[in-house]
Amino acid sequence: MGLNYYHIIKQVRETRKLVIKGTSTAGSGHPGGSFSMAEIMGCIFFKFLRYDPKNPLWEDRDRFVLSKGHASPGLFSNLAVAGYFDKSEMETLRKFESRLQGHPDFKCPGVEFCGGSLGIGLSFSIGMALAARIDGKPHRIYTIIGDGESDEGQVWEASMTASKYKLDNLTVFLDRNFIQQDDYTEKVMPLDEELVSDDISEMWKDAARWKIGDKWRSFGWNVLEIDGHRVEQIIKAIQSAQQTKGTPTIIVSRTIKGKSVEHMEDNPKWHGVAPDPKIAPIIDLELDCQFLISPSIIAGDMTNLENEVKRAAHGRADFIHLDVMDGQFVPNTTFDHTKIKELRPITQIPFDAHLMINEPVKHVRNYVDAGSDIITVHAEVCDESSFGEIHDILRGNEVSVGLAMNPETELPSWAEKFIPDLDQIIVMSVVPGKSGQKYIESTHGKVQRISKILSDKKFTGFIEADGGIDLSNIGSCFLDGARVFVGGSAIIGQKDVRATMSEFRKRVLSARRKLLIQKAYELGGIDLVNKWIDLHEVGKKKTDLIQIAKEAGLE
Amino acid sequence: MTEMTDMRTMYGETLIKIGEENPNIVVVGADTTDSLKTKPFGKKFPNRFFNVGIAEANLVSVAAGLAIEGKIPFASTYAIFLPGRCVDQIRNAIAYPSRDDKKGLNVKMVVSHGGLSVGADGGSHQQIEDIAIMRVIPNIRVMIPSDTVTVSKLVWIMSQTYGPFYMRMARSKTPVIHSEAQDFEIGKGIVLRDGSDCTIAACGITVHMALEAADALKQEGTSCRVLDLFSIKPIDSALIEKAARETGGIVTCEEHNIMAGFGSAVAEVVTETYPVPMRRIGVQDKFGESARDNEIPLLFAKHGITSINIAKSVKDIRSKSR
Repeated sequence: MGLNYYHIIKQVRETRKLVIKGTSTAGSGHPGGSFSMAEIMGCIFFKFLRYDPKNPLWEDRDRFVLSKGHASPGLFSNLAVAGYFDKSEMETLRKFESRLQGHPDFKCPGVEFCGGSLGIGLSFSIGMALAARIDGKPHRIYTIIGDGESDEGQVWEASMTASKYKLDNLTVFLDRNFIQQDDYTEKVMPLDEELVSDDISEMWKDAARWKIGDKWRSFGWNVLEIDGHRVEQIIKAIQSAQQTKGTPTIIVSRTIKGKSVEHMEDNPKWHGVAPDPKIAPIIDLELDCQFLISPSIIAGDMTNLENEVKRAAHGRADFIHLDVMDGQFVPNTTFDHTKIKELRPITQIPFDAHLMINEPVKHVRNYVDAGSDIITVHAEVCDESSFGEIHDILRGNEVSVGLAMNPETELPSWAEKFIPDLDQIIVMSVVPGKSGQKYIESTHGKVQRISKILSDKKFTGFIEADGGIDLSNIGSCFLDGARVFVGGSAIIGQKDVRATMSEFRKRVLSARRKLLIQKAYELGGIDLVNKWIDLHEVGKKKTDLIQIAKEAGLE
Repeated sequence: MTEMTDMRTMYGETLIKIGEENPNIVVVGADTTDSLKTKPFGKKFPNRFFNVGIAEANLVSVAAGLAIEGKIPFASTYAIFLPGRCVDQIRNAIAYPSRDDKKGLNVKMVVSHGGLSVGADGGSHQQIEDIAIMRVIPNIRVMIPSDTVTVSKLVWIMSQTYGPFYMRMARSKTPVIHSEAQDFEIGKGIVLRDGSDCTIAACGITVHMALEAADALKQEGTSCRVLDLFSIKPIDSALIEKAARETGGIVTCEEHNIMAGFGSAVAEVVTETYPVPMRRIGVQDKFGESARDNEIPLLFAKHGITSINIAKSVKDIRSKSR
């Protein structure tokens, strides 16, 4: 079973957009804390939670309790995407007689706990967990608490109680975003260590300073500590919690307040302020411009692919790109599913398997079983029927579905019906078969063209640029419409993979900023450009943006 | 000699009886389960009994979580630690959550050690604000039984009536007021003595004082109607209006601050239905103090809560209204 990676991140993207829609229409609300928990919510709602939107009180459903109730837009948006009510209802957030109250309320179907007053939700969840135990019911209770909320003494009363009663049907997430209403948590009431300077990133650099996990451990909990924005880590942590018997589990998730919107990220101001409706379309575009880096390990030492996977993981890759070549579809041979199976235990990072093989429909199950999370097959060796079969196999196994095209290939007409549901489209910018080739320049035009066609046909997935991607062209590939970047020799071929990948990200970020400045200009001229740039208060973002605007002549 | 019985013992025994009949009855305590006499329930039904330690906020919130899942939790500790300490959790986790037409969650908050009669533990432990706190929270019903018969009947009724309840019991043994045959209904008061000259309305242990005062006044030829208004919210407006209309004056008595308490609740009805002179006997907006069991009458006397004062107030009303 795969991670269902793209499915989750697509839903997360949509929920974030709905949060912006709701809060900007309402003129108030809490986007920051809704965004810090967005990936956690996405994994719970679209991977684990058992529920029926048509029957919200179905007895055997899993329960979800949002204890940090001020992040209600984040809950409502997930309920909307899950189908409890129409997405357009998000526009009624906080309005008179709306079901979507300022804080979660039973008026809204799917809400399990009326939050708002902090520190109560964990105790409430314990009541639910005890009731399930009395009734011998197997359903689970998932609860999210905040770090600011952890100042409340009741959280610790509850912590002891859950431990005493060995509530292994209870899984709690601590949304550790380091920011509460007044300031950084480590300034207001340190959960780890007191922060002396004004730079919160100080806390991220030294894991020895993180104490909150120890607090929970000493209270008798099974404690898992993860990056709360990495889907694969969230999923593995929940799976581990489900298998843990005899203690409740808390997943301490390090997150970023306002995650995915640069000007909100790590800025305490965005705890409880709604975005200006004029800025909202720029934020929407920013959310559409999330990008991922997928290093291709065959560019490294083919005799020690295990090590290449480790290097990619250490470098903080989003995916590991696995080029499978069968010596028939392409002249070269790399490895097959048996190798993928061997590599699988090395890392939790999603495996992005690119099958350059003939008759993929005959082999695709092997690649699913080997542990691939995304499988891309080539348009040249599929037709409507075989791709349909592949699609169904992958979906049935929560593996994301990709379709690849060689430089000479256009999007086949049989593929059209699949477009709205496709997760990933690889547009090859080299002739596949070997690593280290130069980017074919005409691909820029091709991606721009395909990108336009795809968006007209309601494509919600990601275009992956693959072949000859390096620092010189990654920015323009992004502007063409690509959102996932395979790096072969330009990443794996480099000595310091982490630094190289960080440089890749910076280039894409810079291109994205340029795109957003242009968007701001289209929407509201220089005034809106300046207004938007001014929002970027944390770090040196603002200086960088002014520079980009200057270069674009939009300052 | 009036028989004296213990409310907490009756509470614990009744819980076991209803627990046998209804598997959804669960009991939650906070390190006072021995005192509240709920421990035997825990012995009998270990899977339905939870002691969360000295953590009252947690107590009521865990109870709320049990209630949303269809359990009928009885959450118990001393009065001083429940309404006063947990008003936020009671409001937001129990009273506020309302799904469809169910108002609030089905939690029964039953406390002992209400009012001044706590005695020796002193002013810090004498909850004289709970009626006020609990009755202003929407959806919560407030009960103050006068004896063990009422306790037993109310526990049965609460277990079968959806919604959040607050019931306050006294620490010490109390005289038996009602017969086993007495019917109890939420929102209905009980006329203990009929009379035409004045009405004395009381709740909890002051009902006994009201009866003593009525007996004394009877000797002097004054006929008092005595009401046991154990259901403070909802209150029996019809019975109060009738008493006002037929007796022309009302004296209330409570071991609680006279502000926003029982007397105030009666006065709210009287002023809006049939205004007549009233006197409210109760704690005059100050705190209590320690008193050993045999000194408790002195403590009450210091606060003016006595049958003699009730009788005086009746006379006062009657003299003014002539």
